[in-house]
Amino acid sequence: MSVNEGKELRIIGFLCNWCSYAGADTAGVGRFAQPTDLRIVRLPCTGRINPLFIVRAFMNGADGVLVSGCHPRDCHYSEGNFYARRRLEVLKALLPVIGVDPGRFEYTWVSASEGQRWRSVVTSFTEQVHALGPMPGFKSGTSLDMCLCHMDQTQAL
Amino acid sequence: MASSIDDLKTEIKKALPGLDMVIAWAAGPDPLSHTPLFITEEADVERIEWDPRCSQNLAGYLPGLRGKKVGIVVKGCDARSLVELLQEKLIDREDVTIFGLHCTGAVDARAARKALGSLRGGLESVSVNGGTASFSMSGEPRTLPLAEVLQKKCFTCTGADAEVCDHFIGEHGEPPRVTETPATTLEELEAMSMEERLHFWEDQMSRCIRCYACRSACPLCVCQDHCAAQSREPHWVDQTDHPREKLMFQAIHALHTAGRCTECGECERACPMGLPIMTLKQALNRSIQDLFDYRAGTDPDQAPPLFEFREEEKNIKEREW
Amino acid sequence: MLTARYIADDKLMPWLLSLAETRQVLAPVRQGGQTLFAPLDADSQLDLEGLADASAKAALLPRCETLLEFHYSKGEGVPSRTELEVRETLPDRDAFLFGARPCDAKGFTVFDRVYDGGSRRDIYYCTRRDKTIVAALACTDPADTCFCNRVGGGPGDTDGSDILFTPVEGGYVIEPVTERGEAFLAEQPLVEAEGRLEEARQVRKDVAESMPGGDPLGGAQGEVLRLFDDQEFWGGVAAKCLSCGACSYLCPTCYCFNMTDEINGDDGVRVRTWDNCMSFQFTLEGSGHNPRNGKAQRMRNRIGHKFSYYPELHDGNLACVGCGRCIVHCPVSMDVRAIVAQARDRALAKQEHAND
Repeated sequence: MSVNEGKELRIIGFLCNWCSYAGADTAGVGRFAQPTDLRIVRLPCTGRINPLFIVRAFMNGADGVLVSGCHPRDCHYSEGNFYARRRLEVLKALLPVIGVDPGRFEYTWVSASEGQRWRSVVTSFTEQVHALGPMPGFKSGTSLDMCLCHMDQTQAL
Repeated sequence: MASSIDDLKTEIKKALPGLDMVIAWAAGPDPLSHTPLFITEEADVERIEWDPRCSQNLAGYLPGLRGKKVGIVVKGCDARSLVELLQEKLIDREDVTIFGLHCTGAVDARAARKALGSLRGGLESVSVNGGTASFSMSGEPRTLPLAEVLQKKCFTCTGADAEVCDHFIGEHGEPPRVTETPATTLEELEAMSMEERLHFWEDQMSRCIRCYACRSACPLCVCQDHCAAQSREPHWVDQTDHPREKLMFQAIHALHTAGRCTECGECERACPMGLPIMTLKQALNRSIQDLFDYRAGTDPDQAPPLFEFREEEKNIKEREW
Repeated sequence: MLTARYIADDKLMPWLLSLAETRQVLAPVRQGGQTLFAPLDADSQLDLEGLADASAKAALLPRCETLLEFHYSKGEGVPSRTELEVRETLPDRDAFLFGARPCDAKGFTVFDRVYDGGSRRDIYYCTRRDKTIVAALACTDPADTCFCNRVGGGPGDTDGSDILFTPVEGGYVIEPVTERGEAFLAEQPLVEAEGRLEEARQVRKDVAESMPGGDPLGGAQGEVLRLFDDQEFWGGVAAKCLSCGACSYLCPTCYCFNMTDEINGDDGVRVRTWDNCMSFQFTLEGSGHNPRNGKAQRMRNRIGHKFSYYPELHDGNLACVGCGRCIVHCPVSMDVRAIVAQARDRALAKQEHAND
């Protein structure tokens, strides 16, 4: 069991390599104190983010997902974040229908130089997720073996 | 409707010599639902049926028949699938001859079976008049309210006439007038907490048998044989029977058809377990309408909203923090 | 000595619930608008009218069965070494399958020949089979899509069952079919049928006679096989098929499976899941080549397997029990009966043509 069990939640961050990832680094270099719940996945562009990454993260038990990329009109590939913006907005309509509180998912724009801004984004998002508490699980559990035992007992054949 | 079917047969006979085939409906083995009919010779034309039992959306066959000259019979909702296929250049307009009809509503075979009981005596005809559906069984008509026997998609029909077509047959008309429809799954979900919603889907998905009929029947599911659901690399869903994996698949289906789904209802109709899976697509469509002022299947010259972007999005507010 | 017994309608559910205290009782219950076989409990709404929407096959061949569980751990001493621990997961629970229809029960005999076929025994299947008492319920209201009488069965048949329930006025006559069934019933607090047996026989006879007629669909092995290369025929038959798996997964006789390892971190399970020959992936080879590349070839396999290859291997027994679920639930209303009849007509016509 992790020492942070009960204190930390599982928040996944999908960050663009060209801006927010470097922004997070800037925050680190600047030694800004920030919550440690976020696990970062680095991507070449927010345009690379399949909204299903986020759904899959929630299905696998994430308590929150944060996407951060370059400000609109600042994309390294010119238009990746424009596509991402539309996709992520549409995703926001799906999540609450399948039972994921809309507050558990946010996307934002942070550039490489905005260390201070990164800190405030991570802090407020983490607080927001903590206010919601852990993501409610499936009745039948989430781990592989648990689910298989359970199914034998109650499910329709 | 009797005259429509005669006109339909006449038009098809006229067009058939210039086509490789015409797809329509014929009587099926189940008295409550007709079956697709692939017509290649004139004699087959006589087998055509047209009534509220013609439920399948035949547009889904077209991408697989690309390169052939195909005639197709469509209802209002089927025509919207055609528009979407044209938009995405999955079919060629010049190769398709469209016979459009006015639909009075399509019967939900499962619901009707439940309402009618044994059909071993036969079912001669089905028709929709005003607010009721009438089933003629062994000469005796039985009348049932539309809300009880129509497919759920018909309750929210946005146009019963095939708007894109080469030959419109019969009279134009309004969508079926369904009064006192039961609450939609989307409305039911809105009354639930987030946790209850997750558990609602868990219960629903526990019945899923993973036959993927929802996908196979979807006219816009173009990956078909190469579906993400059956890929091991990447491994989007695992093969265990956990409802989570099946819900994940439904999320895949909904997001892959986001901005493209015309709510033809085939996913839900095809599901042998009766799962309310069109709900997810409806939720996305509501949002897409609000965000992009866009409805799929209405204009062949528009592009689906997730295929493009605007630098300034009118309805998307940037995050505050 | 096999003794018939009787249970009154109002005693049935309490009896099943008392059984459920010591073993899993699987029965057709209402679930979200469908009737499906599921473990019975006090809240269950038993539905004994008509045919359940899905077959009872999962009682012996689950949709997903764990074959083994495994766990990786760091080896002691040598950090680079990985230890693998494997745990066997054989089914260990006694079960009572109640309310399967005679067609569902006959479906198990199709599995038996494959999974318990002398030369090889599938221990998972055989263990489940041994631990499950199959109690079939004779049909009283066959649907318009039922055709068990055309594939060697009948609405009151006992193939594959241990016990047969027949609805009579006020309750059910319960007849043991196998010694196992008799031994099970002997321990139950049930009264003897006392003269109701004749009534039960009459019910079954009346229902059998009320079944719609039609030519038997058996004995077409040769005809179907002769059409193997007839691409025009299979192309025509399969034109409207959507290549989904509804027919296979609802079928009480389809037994093909897939095996995969599903791993989560250091833990994993090897699972066996239903597979479906209408799927492109069914015969997809590692190289990317697919010998059954189109739905016509896949349809040929489905029909061929049920009506030609399987009966060829198993003394003429068909791999179809006539439940009609593949017809009712097919999204495009395909009719397996019509396809077999067409195949036979076409093969005969070809033969005659060749003889001319």
